[in-house]
Amino acid sequence: MTEAEALPRRRGGWFFNNPFNNPVAIKELRGRMRGARAFIMLSVYLLLIVGFTLLLYVISTASQDVFGFSSGGQVGRALFTGIVGLQLLLVTFIAPALTASAISGERERQTYDLLRTTLLPAHKLAIGKLFSALSYLFLLLIAAIPLQSIAFLFGGVAEIEVLIAFVILSVTTIALGATGIYFSAAQNRTLAANITTYAMTLFITIGLPIATLILTLLFSSLLSAGGADTSAEVQIALLYGLVALAATNPLMAASLTQSWLINKQSAFFFYETVTSTTGVIQVPILSPWILFGAVYLLVALILVIRTVQRVRSIEE
Amino acid sequence: MPELAFESSGSALPAESAPVVDETDLIIETRGLVKRYGKLTAVNDLWLRVPRGAIYGFVGPNGAGKTSTMRILTTLMLPTAGQAYVAGYEVTKNPRAVRRAIGYMPDYFGVYEDMKVWEYLDFFAACYEIPESSRSQLINDLLDLVDLSHRRDDMVDKLSRGMKQRLCLARTLVHDPQVLILDEPASGLDPRARVEIRELMVELARMGKTIFFSSHILADVAEICTHIGIIEAGRMVMQGSLESIRRQLAPHREAVVTLLNRAEEAKSVLSGIQGVLAVAELPEEGGRKRLRIAFEGEDALLSAMVQALAAQGIPILHFSEQTQDLESVFMKVTKGIVS
Repeated sequence: MTEAEALPRRRGGWFFNNPFNNPVAIKELRGRMRGARAFIMLSVYLLLIVGFTLLLYVISTASQDVFGFSSGGQVGRALFTGIVGLQLLLVTFIAPALTASAISGERERQTYDLLRTTLLPAHKLAIGKLFSALSYLFLLLIAAIPLQSIAFLFGGVAEIEVLIAFVILSVTTIALGATGIYFSAAQNRTLAANITTYAMTLFITIGLPIATLILTLLFSSLLSAGGADTSAEVQIALLYGLVALAATNPLMAASLTQSWLINKQSAFFFYETVTSTTGVIQVPILSPWILFGAVYLLVALILVIRTVQRVRSIEE
Repeated sequence: MPELAFESSGSALPAESAPVVDETDLIIETRGLVKRYGKLTAVNDLWLRVPRGAIYGFVGPNGAGKTSTMRILTTLMLPTAGQAYVAGYEVTKNPRAVRRAIGYMPDYFGVYEDMKVWEYLDFFAACYEIPESSRSQLINDLLDLVDLSHRRDDMVDKLSRGMKQRLCLARTLVHDPQVLILDEPASGLDPRARVEIRELMVELARMGKTIFFSSHILADVAEICTHIGIIEAGRMVMQGSLESIRRQLAPHREAVVTLLNRAEEAKSVLSGIQGVLAVAELPEEGGRKRLRIAFEGEDALLSAMVQALAAQGIPILHFSEQTQDLESVFMKVTKGIVS
């Protein structure tokens, strides 16, 4: 009997397999939602956002003069930005906590060998772990949408902003989840996996924004200082450099997207006028959140593939 | 006339239920297997032969290379050199086919704390691609087999060590494997749990499974094994069926007869029987005379000796064949070295 006869394989690409047909995903979801832990975490998460929203509301309405909020729209925008910012911060801390122990935990619990001697393919193990962690993280994100929507009561926030914010949060969550899973597979110990995942997360959410902010300010000042004297090529390069820098991290992508949304009234694509000694050129610009989304999803995919390869590899 | 007592210290499996083993039909085979960790050679040119249907005890001191061999056979580790075959599949070339053929229980294993007993088996059944529709009955049958039906809805971490071991054994069976590879299945268990695991292994052998297990506990191995392999410093120093190993180590068979009296007369009667090589008097025990008989021949010769003594009216209290216990075999073939 050949192996092909003995071992029928499921058809279809592994990436598109139904996650609910994945025993690891089902086990993890069942375990995660069992008991009070999942609900306590969700409640604490929402209470933190509620508390922060109330605080922002009280400050912005009682001290309008101090903060210069002259309209309800600005209050709404402040609330929305604050809530999304806090969600990003919370996801930054929760995503690694849910994923960095996913595979290293199996090794430490001495269940990894049991799994690896079953017929469970490596991709199902990795995807199942990631899927269950992301499911819970998305539950947190979706549960906070009504709180984000409070901003609509004050005006100043468009529906498209809420959608873009959700996309940026979702993509960040997926990328951080994939980072956690990758380090969890790459490290044998959960502690080491946690440290490397948090180090990478902090680099993405704090280090990169600071670095890119400095470069952005530099680019912007170069663009405005040079004005028409700067050559068109340099101006275009600086403009695209700005978009590329913003796409490296969620904070910059969100703030530049919002800024261009207000100033250029475009959430996707617009033309920027570049004036130089040679004339006026219309430069096509893609809103940074789109590039950010594409880059982070690509990185997440690469990390998942590397995770699968790591899980599939046999000890030498 | 005193009651006769015949004893044999062979396998505990009753003759009618002992698995029929074809020594040429190998379900596990390694050819010159080598495993090195840096400068340390854990497995050194190992030639392992496990016949289908055998209960094969893999015996050796700590660090002899048992676990490394098992990890290679279970596709968890790559060999440095040599080949390993399980159920006809080369482990490095067809790991998926090997995984389908084996049920593996490592020496140390964990359980998922947040699962119920039935969920644990259901999860692993799903990992082995058992259709959901047939899992419920399968789980019930397995829990019955390992006597854990009454704990079906309990959380796994509430089970005792012995129960977890039995649950893990049930887990190895969810996909009806041909061979069970069990690394120290009785280690760390209390005497009762050890007996239960041993009985389960015998039961599984009766169901047609080949059982390949490692153990430090020679009494357990001697109790249930049909075959043994003794490994030392990564090399197989001896392997085969228990009987063949005993025969290899002892050039002839031995019996001891205990008499009420007339030892000299018995000695001359026995010496006259064809096939008896020598008869020697042993020190008395509680006033009873004892003779050691060295002989070459089949079991009929044992019967002839008893009949000859009885025909002369010599009062026999006890007559038994002396077989070498596994501990003496082990001590004889190993040198006490580890790799």
